[in-house]
Amino acid sequence: MNKKDTILIVIVLIISIAIILGYKLFEKDGIKKALVYYENDLVLTIDLTENIEKTYYVEGYNGKVKILAGNGKVSVDEENSPLHLCSKQGYISKSYETIVCLPNKVIIKIDNIDELDAIVK
Amino acid sequence: MKAYVSYIIVSIITIVLSLLFLFSSTNKKGLYTTNLFYMDTYINIKIYDVDEKTKDKAFDNIDKIYKKYHELSDRYQKYDNVKNIYYINNIDINTEIEIEKELYDLIDYSVSFCNQSNGLLNIAMGNVIDVWKSYRDGEKEGIPTIDELKDKNINLEDLVLLKNNKILKKSNISLDLGAFAKGYATEEVGKYLESIDIDKYIINAGGNVKVGNHYNNKKYKIGLEKPTKESDIYKVVNGNNIAVTTSGSYERFYEYNGKSYHHIIDPNTLFPPQYMLSVSVITNDSTYADALDTMLFLMSTLDGLDYVNKLDDVYAIWYTNDGKVIKSEGFKKYE
Repeated sequence: MNKKDTILIVIVLIISIAIILGYKLFEKDGIKKALVYYENDLVLTIDLTENIEKTYYVEGYNGKVKILAGNGKVSVDEENSPLHLCSKQGYISKSYETIVCLPNKVIIKIDNIDELDAIVK
Repeated sequence: MKAYVSYIIVSIITIVLSLLFLFSSTNKKGLYTTNLFYMDTYINIKIYDVDEKTKDKAFDNIDKIYKKYHELSDRYQKYDNVKNIYYINNIDINTEIEIEKELYDLIDYSVSFCNQSNGLLNIAMGNVIDVWKSYRDGEKEGIPTIDELKDKNINLEDLVLLKNNKILKKSNISLDLGAFAKGYATEEVGKYLESIDIDKYIINAGGNVKVGNHYNNKKYKIGLEKPTKESDIYKVVNGNNIAVTTSGSYERFYEYNGKSYHHIIDPNTLFPPQYMLSVSVITNDSTYADALDTMLFLMSTLDGLDYVNKLDDVYAIWYTNDGKVIKSEGFKKYE
C-alpha cells in the first residue's frame, strides 16, 4: 500500500464513522425534564428540551431559590445558605446527576423519561 | 498488485460501513401504526422492524380479526351471514344451532372461566344488563328496583355447548360477552402477529394493552390511568411480553341521587359493585387478564389480593375508593 491508499482508507473511515456518529447523536432520546423537589415533594417540573434558558423560582427553607434551566441543563443560580454549595455546583445535564441544596431542602434531579408506550384506561 | 489489494480493502470497509449504517436506519423506519374502531373502543396498533409489504398484510388481517370478533360478540345487531350473539339471543329455545368455530371457542372459554369464578362472572347476564342499560341511556329514570332485576333469567346452566360447534338454549337467557370478547380478540391478534414473526408490537385497545418484545431492547412503559375525573397516570408498568388490562367504575356510568352506577353488574346482588375505583391485571395472556380483572372488580380488595397472591405469574394493582394503591405480591418487578 502506498501513502495515497492509506490516506484514502483513513478518509473513508473517518467519513463513515462521522456519518454513523452524527446519526446516533441526532437520535431523539425521549423527553428530558428537571424535577424539583422540596422536602421530597415534587414542586416543579421543567422541560429541558427547549433551546432557551429560562428562570424559575421555588420556595426553599431559607427563602427563594433561583433556578436556570434550558438547553438540556439546569443549575441553581441564587439561594440563601451559609456555603452556597448548590449555586457553586453549576449545571447538571445527565440523568444520574443531582443538585442538593440541603439548607434549603431542595433537590433537583434530571429525568430522561421516554414517552409512555401505551395507557391503560 | 499492492494497489489492487488496497482497493479491495477500501471497498470492503466502505461496503461494511454502509451496510451498518443502512441497517441501523432500516431499524428506525420499520415502525408502522394503525388505528381501528371496534367493540366501542379505539384500538391502536404499532409494529416494529417490519417491511412495508408485511405491514400491509398484517394490518389487513388484524382489521379482519377485530372486525370478526366485533361482529360475533355484538348483542345489539345482526350482520349479513353472521351467526353472532344477537342471533343466539334471539333463537328459539331447545333448538340446536351450529355457530362458527371462533364464536364457539370464545363462548366455551368464557363459560369455563365463569364456572371457576365462584359465581362472580356470568355471561348469561344479558337480561339484567339490558334493564340497567335502559336506565343508563335515560329511557327510564332512576335506578331499577330489585324485583325488576330478580325477575330476569340469568341461568348460565341453560346454555348447552354440544359437539361440533353446536349450541342449544334451554330457556330465554341472553348472553353478553363484555368481560371476554375484547381481551380474547386482542390475544388472537397477538398470536397472529407472532405467527408471522412480528414479535415487537403494542396493541392498545383501551382498557386492554398487550405488548411483545421491545423495539429497543428496553421495556415498554405502560401508564395506568387514575380512575378519577382528572385523567392522570398513577403508575407506570414496565415490561415486555405482557398483557395489562383494567376494569373500572369510571367508564360507562351514570349518576342518580349523587351515586354513580357503572356498567359491570354483580350476578349475586344484580347491582354494580362498589369495592374499588379500578383494578388492573398484568399477566401474559390478554384474555385471562381481561376476564380476571372483571372478576377482581367484583371482589373486595382483600379477597382479590388473597386470590391473586396464590396465582403464578399474575399480578394486580388496585385503586381503592379512598384513593389508596394496593399491589399484589411481586408486582414490584414491573415498577
